[in-house]
Amino acid sequence: METFLSNLSLGFSVALGLQNLGLAFLGCLVGTLIGVLPGVGPVATIAMLLPITFSLDPTGSLIMLAGIYYGAQYGGSTTAILVNIPGEATSVVTAIDGHEMAKKGRAGAALAVAALGSFFAGSVATLVIAALGAPLTKIALMFGATEYFSLMIMGLVLAVVLAGGSVLKAVAMILVGILLSTVGTDLETGDERMTFGLIFLSDGIDFAVLAMGIFGVAEIMRNLAQPESRDVVRKPIGRLLPNREELRQSWAPVVRGTVMGSILGILPGNGAVLAPFASYAMEKKLAKDPTRFGKGAIEGVAGPESANNAGAQTSFIPLLTLGIPGNAVMALMVGAMTIQGIIPGPQVMTGNPSLFWGMIASMWVGNLMLLVINLPMVGLWVRLLKVPYRLMFPAILAFCCIGIYSINSLPTDVMFIGLFGFVGYLLIKCGFEPAPLLLGFVLGKLMEENMRRALILSRGSLSTFITEPISAGLLLVSVVLLAAAIIPNVRKGRDEMFVE
Amino acid sequence: MTSRLKHRAKGLKAPQNLAGGIALVSIAALTLWLTRDLDPGTLSAMGSGMLPHMLAWAVGLCGVALVLSAFLHSGERLERGNLQGPLLIILAIFAFSATIRPLTIGPVTTPGLGLIVAVPIAIIIGGMASAEARIHELVMLSLGLTPSCMLVFCDMLNLPIPVFPQAVIEIFPDGWDAKSILRISALVMIAAAVMIFYTSRKPVLADRGESE
Repeated sequence: METFLSNLSLGFSVALGLQNLGLAFLGCLVGTLIGVLPGVGPVATIAMLLPITFSLDPTGSLIMLAGIYYGAQYGGSTTAILVNIPGEATSVVTAIDGHEMAKKGRAGAALAVAALGSFFAGSVATLVIAALGAPLTKIALMFGATEYFSLMIMGLVLAVVLAGGSVLKAVAMILVGILLSTVGTDLETGDERMTFGLIFLSDGIDFAVLAMGIFGVAEIMRNLAQPESRDVVRKPIGRLLPNREELRQSWAPVVRGTVMGSILGILPGNGAVLAPFASYAMEKKLAKDPTRFGKGAIEGVAGPESANNAGAQTSFIPLLTLGIPGNAVMALMVGAMTIQGIIPGPQVMTGNPSLFWGMIASMWVGNLMLLVINLPMVGLWVRLLKVPYRLMFPAILAFCCIGIYSINSLPTDVMFIGLFGFVGYLLIKCGFEPAPLLLGFVLGKLMEENMRRALILSRGSLSTFITEPISAGLLLVSVVLLAAAIIPNVRKGRDEMFVE
Repeated sequence: MTSRLKHRAKGLKAPQNLAGGIALVSIAALTLWLTRDLDPGTLSAMGSGMLPHMLAWAVGLCGVALVLSAFLHSGERLERGNLQGPLLIILAIFAFSATIRPLTIGPVTTPGLGLIVAVPIAIIIGGMASAEARIHELVMLSLGLTPSCMLVFCDMLNLPIPVFPQAVIEIFPDGWDAKSILRISALVMIAAAVMIFYTSRKPVLADRGESE
């Protein structure tokens, strides 16, 4: 308990420094600003804003990135409630009842409950991270190369199992992602791999370029094909503060959503995605009058929004303690950390405690700031929502070009976001999701390194992965999960969950 | 190429999966061909070729499985996407990278025109990708956005991005301060944007300007 408090106070002393406070604020503000634009989800927002953070010091840049992430999430909920365009899977649920409330002129209450619920969830999740960080790190520090390789396999399998859509396609995308990570000079042998003899490829594919291409640019190409139909609420936003009745109805869903989101977010796969769906289903079951759901029930906003935010935050746990990113956002975080010279994993907490605890404390600070930024500025967000897409995407495109050029001053980098964007667009057309590709890409180099090391230690025997007990256990879990996802019955249930 | 597939073969139930499978197999084949000279090494001393080879086979296997499943299970159709939009976006990005600073591709060297030209080019070419594009709006957007980018990225953040065409920089008198030239030209552009805005009386850009 004492170390827990001293760690947190170390964290707050870092996070409350003037510069870091400013960066967290800036991150939240810019994140909300971009995230609120319809059709731009958190992943695209972070990919787009990544270059801005590169010139900062590691702690500052991660604090700002985390701020951008929360900001983009809040922005996404705002869009879901006011325009009925969820920026990503997790705010789909919010759109159901939130938009109905907005149509009835209760948008203000929906936005306020979402913000308050998320703040509560964020505060609890911050404590959960702080409490679990240290023990999990201790476990992870016992891992050797063999265990790490198996752990990464398990992380990737979980990411596949917990995502919607075809398992086969997701596996294929992960493999292609790992394949892309092998492009460039092999560190061990010095051989050039798949560089086409091009000098700028000998360092490998730049992470920011790939991310901005397959998320930023491909997203624009995809959105262009869809005709724009926007259902911006014409009704007034209404009173921002929820009344006593609304508060009474929402506090229990908020607490339940927070618990559920915190637990699901910890799973090393993308458990956070399930949290709002699960919370919505639970609230509907518990409600005295389930027919109200879908027609503007405040519980349908309060629960899922809290679950969403709690999950988003606790999904940092596998990343910070084990170095395993569970979803595309965490993959972007790994990329940003690597560029700053930090290898994510248990050594971050022991080797760089001020960064680790500072980031955790800044999560709470960021949540508080969002509450302060979001509610008074709702009017501005509403006006932003009215900017038509035909004017928005050229601006986004220009920002992407400038951002990526500013990293290395290489025009070839800019060209590559175009190429990767087009490849990403074709993959989307073929029904592949780009997120697993990015996960594979960020883990690829580490996987190869650990596999090599494990095999050197075992003198070339592959059986080392199943004779070492921890590694065998991790692989067994992966196989069982993968098998379960393919077996038709379970799969049907899983698909139903995503359909709902 | 695969996205234009129009197969109506008998028994084909999921054209999208067929296209995806073919794409995966092609990726695998390309990888194997590119890495044909790399030494796979042995398990106890992995060479540079081992992982790419293993991955390529695995990707190829997934591809084959997808192709097979396309004939067994029914699935999504391939939407015939219009390629014009995506190609214009790529063109815009390439135009930006060719004009931002001198770029040598083979025998050709593009002139470095700087941010002040590259951003409007990217916005106007890229903007045409939308079916609802209106040229005067895009001109206005680029006149408003370019100076904001100049001020934010080059003035405030001090990023090393060329702002003006190289030819123009040479004719500036020595005594002039680069920053003040930047600020003056940014103000001129914003003024021009405001002028066009009021003369064309299209209220669409009002929100845009404030969001910067």
